Amino acid sequence: MMEDEAFTDINGKSISLDCQCHSSLCSEFIVSVPKVSIGKVMVYTCCVWLLAYAVFFFTENTAVLTSAIFITLAGMMFHIHFVKVDHESLLVIGSLGVQVSSSYASGRETTTFIEMGKIKDIVINEAIYMHQIIYYLCVLLKEPSDPDAVSSVVPLFQSSKPRLNCLVKVYKSCQEIISKC
Amino acid sequence: MGATSPSPVPERAIYGFVLFLGSQFGFFLFCLWAYIPEEWLHSIGLTYWPQKYWALAVPIYLLVAIVITAVLLFGVNMNNTAPLDSIDIITDVYAQGQRTTDCHKRGIPRLKDVSISEVNKMFYLSPKL
Repeated sequence: MMEDEAFTDINGKSISLDCQCHSSLCSEFIVSVPKVSIGKVMVYTCCVWLLAYAVFFFTENTAVLTSAIFITLAGMMFHIHFVKVDHESLLVIGSLGVQVSSSYASGRETTTFIEMGKIKDIVINEAIYMHQIIYYLCVLLKEPSDPDAVSSVVPLFQSSKPRLNCLVKVYKSCQEIISKC
Repeated sequence: MGATSPSPVPERAIYGFVLFLGSQFGFFLFCLWAYIPEEWLHSIGLTYWPQKYWALAVPIYLLVAIVITAVLLFGVNMNNTAPLDSIDIITDVYAQGQRTTDCHKRGIPRLKDVSISEVNKMFYLSPKL
């Protein structure tokens, strides 16, 4: 079962949520961020190269142009590989655990698995972030020795930061699965 | 306790006016010292004054310090804000009785801090708030 509506992130950029209910005990939520737009890339490259050409015009040093080309290339590769997230997914399997993975624009994927014995709850929390207060979904972890105390917090969907309507959908589906086990 | 209230009082008005007059007079003297050439001051006999450089330097230092303080205050506040994955956002040592055991007997339930799981259920799972 797949659903797609018009969700946005906290800054107003549109994102898309894809919920897949594989069974009554397992469902997956994928939040996708729009890809890097070619217009933005061209604007940045032109700005950097015009600036480098202006510096070269005054200093007559060709090393400025070479270094500008290298900086642009290295910066773009770094951005694609380490910074730009393509989609983040949350896979909840009742009585087994939760898998959180984010995949970057270059194809790299990072995954974390949290077993159900460590999970106390998945909740929507509000916190101060920079100059605003945002809602974010997080997994509360507990120590097996003290099942009533929260030992640590793992925030989800950190790079895409969806707004409350998207989070409530994910929250409701997660609670259906978690409350069963 | 009447002497420590912040209400306007005649003595405070007099202090304020004296300070106002004093600061205006001090500013007038500063302008005199800054604008009158050194030779005239020497000819009167006033020789031991700071260099004229400081007439420009001190106001500029003050203004730059004020601007940096504003930026620094913002930065220190943002630095001290707990990150999104810190446990301090959820609870701390002063939260009372957050066990989720439901013992609904007849009568008034025990007074305690509501845990975040119950708050979430009430907000997002109940059909009507």
